[in-house]
Amino acid sequence: MLSDIVAQYTQDSTSYHGDLAFSSSNAWQGDVAKQFGQLSFDLPNTGNPAEFLHQYTDVKSDHDALIKLAHGTTTLAFKYADGVVIATDSRATQGSVIASQSVKKIIEINPYLLGTMAGGAADCAFWERELGRRCRLYELRNKERISVAAASKLLGNMVYSYKGMGLSMGTMVSGWDKTGPNLYYVDNDGTRLKGNLFSVGSGSPFAYGVLDRGYDHELQKEDALELGKRSIYHATHRDAFSGGYVRLFHMNEDGWEFISLTDMDDLHWKYTGDAAVTAS
Amino acid sequence: MDFAALAPSANSVMPSVHPTSQAKEAAFSPYEDHGGTNLAIAGADFCVIASDTRQSNGYHINTRFAPKTFKLTDKTVLTTAGCQPDCNMVATRVRQHIEWYKYTHNRSISTAAIAQMLSIMLYQKRFFPYYDFNILGGLDEEGRGAVYSYDSIGSMERVPCQCCGSASALIQPFLDNQVRNKNQKGKEEVTAFDPVAKLSLETTLKIVKDAFTSATERDIYTGDSLQIFIVTRDGVEEQRYPLKRD
Amino acid sequence: MFLTRSEYDRGVNTFSPEGRLFQVEYALEAIKLGSTAIGIETTDGVLLAVEKRVTSGLLVADSIEKILEIDHHLGCAMSGLTADSRTMIDHARVEAQNHHFTYDEKIPVESVTQAVCDLALRFGEGAEGEKSIMSRPFGVALLVAGCDERGGQLYLADPSGTYTRYKAKAIGAGSEGAQTELQEEYYDTITLAEAEALALKVLKQVMEEKLTADNIQVAAVTPSLGFHVYSQEKLQTVVDSL
Repeated sequence: MLSDIVAQYTQDSTSYHGDLAFSSSNAWQGDVAKQFGQLSFDLPNTGNPAEFLHQYTDVKSDHDALIKLAHGTTTLAFKYADGVVIATDSRATQGSVIASQSVKKIIEINPYLLGTMAGGAADCAFWERELGRRCRLYELRNKERISVAAASKLLGNMVYSYKGMGLSMGTMVSGWDKTGPNLYYVDNDGTRLKGNLFSVGSGSPFAYGVLDRGYDHELQKEDALELGKRSIYHATHRDAFSGGYVRLFHMNEDGWEFISLTDMDDLHWKYTGDAAVTAS
Repeated sequence: MDFAALAPSANSVMPSVHPTSQAKEAAFSPYEDHGGTNLAIAGADFCVIASDTRQSNGYHINTRFAPKTFKLTDKTVLTTAGCQPDCNMVATRVRQHIEWYKYTHNRSISTAAIAQMLSIMLYQKRFFPYYDFNILGGLDEEGRGAVYSYDSIGSMERVPCQCCGSASALIQPFLDNQVRNKNQKGKEEVTAFDPVAKLSLETTLKIVKDAFTSATERDIYTGDSLQIFIVTRDGVEEQRYPLKRD
Repeated sequence: MFLTRSEYDRGVNTFSPEGRLFQVEYALEAIKLGSTAIGIETTDGVLLAVEKRVTSGLLVADSIEKILEIDHHLGCAMSGLTADSRTMIDHARVEAQNHHFTYDEKIPVESVTQAVCDLALRFGEGAEGEKSIMSRPFGVALLVAGCDERGGQLYLADPSGTYTRYKAKAIGAGSEGAQTELQEEYYDTITLAEAEALALKVLKQVMEEKLTADNIQVAAVTPSLGFHVYSQEKLQTVVDSL
């Protein structure tokens, strides 16, 4: 499958610089929007584009590279009696530089579906935008909302077709459909898991510690939101790649609800009385 | 945790880092860092976009005047830093698509629409990225300043101010302090979620000039001259100032 | 009209010596067999109204759909071969979503109409090497209604790939009588509520069956509510007030 994709795109690229070949061979060249009926990407003119990408970009943040991409994260989501709590930090790092402290890592796919962003910021933002487009078309064609299961499967299948090409995406798709609140984990390897509780990103081990300690399916909404916020806070305290603000969302029966955006510094002083924090 | 990523960066991953892949991949090395710095600041009813004009290659200065900021429309300006051919190609293609948009939809394109389009155009090169860091500045539909910052493959965010390029680590903290009043007691902070800064155009221009004259003192890739583009409802005005040439 | 058609009406890509494309003209004729559809531009939105031909008591009226959503701010009514309209409307929906995906803004009404018309000519090969994707022209016309920054707009897209903006337009079997009526009754300051009454009055005159809330479909596109199809109750109120 990979070799097919590679063959398809490298042919375009070798005919001339990818871009120009792309626009001259495309029937709908008048409007870039028309090109997205079929997604199409340029590939470098080398035998192994994935290796090329690995050499020049640092999307996995496991080595230094010329082109530093935005990444690094703590995200979490958990399902409980009253819905789903979704919480993230807001830091993006390029190498050791903090590129932004204000990233929107909760992506509103549509009014009743949320995705989270971990891994490559552009990968998550682009594919979840594409997912939003497909979900909307599904809705228009079928006159009903897509289920969370189907939406997450769409996303999983999209990125799976680029498996091994170097995408980096760890996302949780949450929503409320006919079967109630739902939560799925989808990543760039094609993994797709249904579950009650996930945390993704470099700070996730710390978030999991706090989450597992406090999680209960029967939590009150207020306590559940506090648990989400606190878990992200503790992760940013121990993971240098996470920080900024805690962004908190809640999934209700009638769609998502924005809860809060809290500066990590304010949270630190709020939680400072806790033994766990003062000890460190 | 990955400590290697925190280590001071070598200029790039040169073939010597991967001896096994050297024979195969050394021939295809499409990127060069041409240095240079740019920034954009959004004001209540204006936007300032600025860049220096030096172009270097390693320790050699190629030219003292290589503009890398491009007027796109009467209310949008794109500024780029990285590999000059990639920067030019991005600007050319964005301009081309703006023309097509005009003919297809019979109206001029908004800054927000260019911003989203640029993100997607950059992502089209996901597997063969442009070595190009972009900032888009202009006026939004309400007439407020708007700044969008990008990584090289299209991760996009609207911010009140942004700096990128070789001196970004020097200038960005200065902007955070001077433009956004970050972490200063008794001053109202402009958060990253506020669309615009609370400065007058005059003060903004002073800050921009100070930022570049200071960065020129400490960054070998920044200098020679400064191009400032001021976007207001009357259109785009360009100003030029000399920077040190050493 | 067709005295000289001889064999020049066989190929979709062949002009007759008089310079006519008969298959396209026949396609336009197909519209005149369809159920009547009316569109009216008003001061506060665009109204669409169609008759449903409920030819039998065994037919489930709800299953006939002649007004469809393209996007939140766009809808369309059709007349002609319903099956053909599926392809066109799906194309319009995809174009609308692609535009939103790329520019993060609503597609203009005229652009989406143009996109539908681009598709209408794809029974022939395109100038830029596009393959022909249909064996014949579409046999359906669409009234595209929408609201964008230029306000409410109504366009007619026909099988020849032509689109025209109208203040009020009727298509389908009863179009001749209906258009004359619209011509007389339309005025520039017409409101949505007045247009509802006008559209139903015109439909009533041209429909063979007695007009009820079950055999018509009405929808509006307004700046605040976007595209919305009238509920059975609302329809009943409008019918009762006639």
